Amino acid sequence: MRARGLVAALISVAACMAQSFSQRGFLETQLVGYPQTAWNDSGRAIGESLLRYEAFYKLSSGWQFSGGIDARADTHRQDARALHLSWNDREIQRPAFEVRRLSAIYHRGPLTIELGRQFIRWGKADILNPTDRFAPRDFLGVVDNEFLAVTGARLTYERGGETLDAVWVPLFTPSRIPLFDQRWLVAPAGLRVVDAGAHYPGGSQAGLRWNHLGAGYECSLSFYQGFNNLPLLSVVGTPLPAPGIWLQRLYPQMRMYGGDAAVPLKLLTVKGEAAYFTSSTPQADNYALYVIQLERQQGEWMFVGGYAGQAVTRKRQALDFAPDRGLASAFLGRATWTIDTNRSLAFEAAARQNGDGAWLKAEYSHALGQHWRVKAAFTLIRGSPGDFLGQYRRNSHGALTVRYSF
Amino acid sequence: MSKAILCLLVSGLAWAEDARQIVEEAQRRSRSGSEHYEGSLQVINARGKITAKRWLYDRIGSHGNSKAVLRFTAPAEVKGVALLIVNHPDRASDQWMWTPALERDRRIALQDRRTRFFGTDFSFEDLEERDVGQYDYKMLGEETASGAACWKIESRPKQSKISQYDRSILWIRKDHYVFWQIENYTKDRPVRRATYADLQEVQSIWTARTVEMADLRENSRTILKLEKLEYNVPMKDDSFTLQALRRESR
Repeated sequence: MRARGLVAALISVAACMAQSFSQRGFLETQLVGYPQTAWNDSGRAIGESLLRYEAFYKLSSGWQFSGGIDARADTHRQDARALHLSWNDREIQRPAFEVRRLSAIYHRGPLTIELGRQFIRWGKADILNPTDRFAPRDFLGVVDNEFLAVTGARLTYERGGETLDAVWVPLFTPSRIPLFDQRWLVAPAGLRVVDAGAHYPGGSQAGLRWNHLGAGYECSLSFYQGFNNLPLLSVVGTPLPAPGIWLQRLYPQMRMYGGDAAVPLKLLTVKGEAAYFTSSTPQADNYALYVIQLERQQGEWMFVGGYAGQAVTRKRQALDFAPDRGLASAFLGRATWTIDTNRSLAFEAAARQNGDGAWLKAEYSHALGQHWRVKAAFTLIRGSPGDFLGQYRRNSHGALTVRYSF
Repeated sequence: MSKAILCLLVSGLAWAEDARQIVEEAQRRSRSGSEHYEGSLQVINARGKITAKRWLYDRIGSHGNSKAVLRFTAPAEVKGVALLIVNHPDRASDQWMWTPALERDRRIALQDRRTRFFGTDFSFEDLEERDVGQYDYKMLGEETASGAACWKIESRPKQSKISQYDRSILWIRKDHYVFWQIENYTKDRPVRRATYADLQEVQSIWTARTVEMADLRENSRTILKLEKLEYNVPMKDDSFTLQALRRESR
C-alpha cells in the first residue's frame, strides 16, 4: 500500500515537473563556399555543424532556471578542436563546447531579477542598434554574425507603461573578431599577422534604461558605463622575422548616452535609435551613431529601409575592428517575402553613401515537415579596399544550411 | 408616401438596434474574467498540404479591455515565439512579438496586422478581441448556417478602429447567441471566412471548440481546435507585460 502511494506521489511529481520543464534545440550543418580565395586563406569551402540545446525549468511562479549549451565542429579551424567547455566566451576561436546561457530568474510583482549568463538586448532598430551595449557578437564571418551572452545581473521593474532596466556585468565578454590567419582579416598581401592576445578590462560594466510605452508610441533613454566589446588593435612586441606584426586587442573604456523610439503610423512605422559614445582611453574616438528606419508591411512583404549615420567628435586612432561604425554612413535595407506557410525569401543590403562599399544578401528558406528547414543564401560584397565593407570584396559567398529542430 | 418612408426608416433603425443588441448579448454571454486553452492548429494550403502547429493561449479581462498572450509550442523551430496583445475599447490593439532567436520583442505595426500570423490563415488583426462599441451594425435578416438558425448581421468598423476589413458579415446562432460564421470583406471582396463548430457549454459559456479560418484569396485554411479550455482561471495582470513575454517565453 505504501509502495503504491510512493509510486503515485512520484508520478504526480514527475507530471508537475513535466509541466514546468521545457526544452528546445537544433542540429545545424552549414556548407559555405567562396568563389575566390584570399592571399592568407586558400580555403574555398567550409563545413560547420552546430548542436544547440536549451532547457528551461520553472520551479514556482517566482523562480525559473534556464541553461543552454552549444557544441560545434568545423573543417576550417574557426572552431577549436580542443574538447574544452567555455564559460566566458573569450576564446579567439569558437569553442567546441560553450555554455550558451545559465541563469536564474526571480520574479515578484513588477520586479524581475535575472542572475547568470544571459542575453540582454536594448534598442528598437532592426539592422543596427547603437544602444545595444550588452550584446557582444561572434564576428568570425563579419557579415554573418551571432549574439553572445553576458554574465551578470539584470533587474527590471515594470509598472504600467514604464520599465526601468538596470544591468551590472562584472565579467567582460568581448565580441569575437575575425581570425588573424583567415580571409576575414584583410591585411596587406604578404603581411603576416599574429595574435598577441588581449588586454581584457578588469572592471565591471553597468547600464540603466528607462522605457516608456505611450498610446501609439514607445521610447527609451539609456546609459552605459563600461567597455566597448569591439577592440582597438595595436602593434606590439618585436617585428617577426618574415614581414609580419603582432597585434594585440584592447577594449577601450566607453560611456554611452542613448535613446530610441518607435512610432507606428497608419502607413509606416518609424524607428530611430541614437547614441553618443565617449571614452577615457587615449586611443579611442568620441563619436555619435544614429539610425533612422522606416518599416512597411505590404501584403506578405515586409520592407525595412533606413540610414545609419556617424559623427566623430574626437578622432584619436584609426586601427580598430568596428562593424557597427563600418555600417554607418550607409543606407540599410531589408525585404522579406513570406511565400507561404513553409517558404520565405529575404534580402538584406547595405550601401555606403560614398559608393565605396556594398553588401547584399539573399536567402531562401524552406521548412520541410515538422522538424527540417533548408536555407540557401548568397552574399555579395563589393567595394574599394579602403572601405569597411569593400575590403571584404573577395569574400562573397554562398551558403547551404540544413537544420533539424527538436 | 412620406409615412411609408418614415415607417421604413423607423423599422430600419429598429433592426439596427436589434442587430447591436444581439451582438451585445452574444458578447455578454461569452464574457469571462480570463481564458486559457491549448490550441491545436492544422494549416492546409491550396495544394492540400497540412502543417501542424500548437500554441498556448491566456487572456485576462474581456472584450475591448483585455490582454492576451499566445505562445507557440510546436513545431520545434517556432517554440518560444510569443505574441502579447493589449486590447483597447476605443482603438486598435497594441501587439508585440517575442522571437527567442533574436532575444527581443518587436512592436507589430498597425499596417502589419493584415499579415498572416506565423504562417496560419489568421491575420494579426484576427487575433484581437472585438468590442461591440468599435463597430456599426445592420441586420441583414435570418439565415441557416452550418445547420443552425442564425441572425445575419453586417458590421462596419467605426472611424476610430483601424481595420484591414471594410465590413464583416456575422452569423450569430439564435439558440445560444454564439458567433457561428464571420465573413470579412475588403473592397467588397470576401477575403477571410471564419466558421465555427463543435459547440459545447464550458463553465456555463457556450463555446465553439473548433474554428476554421479560410483565406479566400490564397485558397488555404487553418483549423484551430481549443483543447483544455478553461474560463475564469486565476491569472495575474503582471503575466501580460513585455517583461513577462521575455521571461515566460522560453
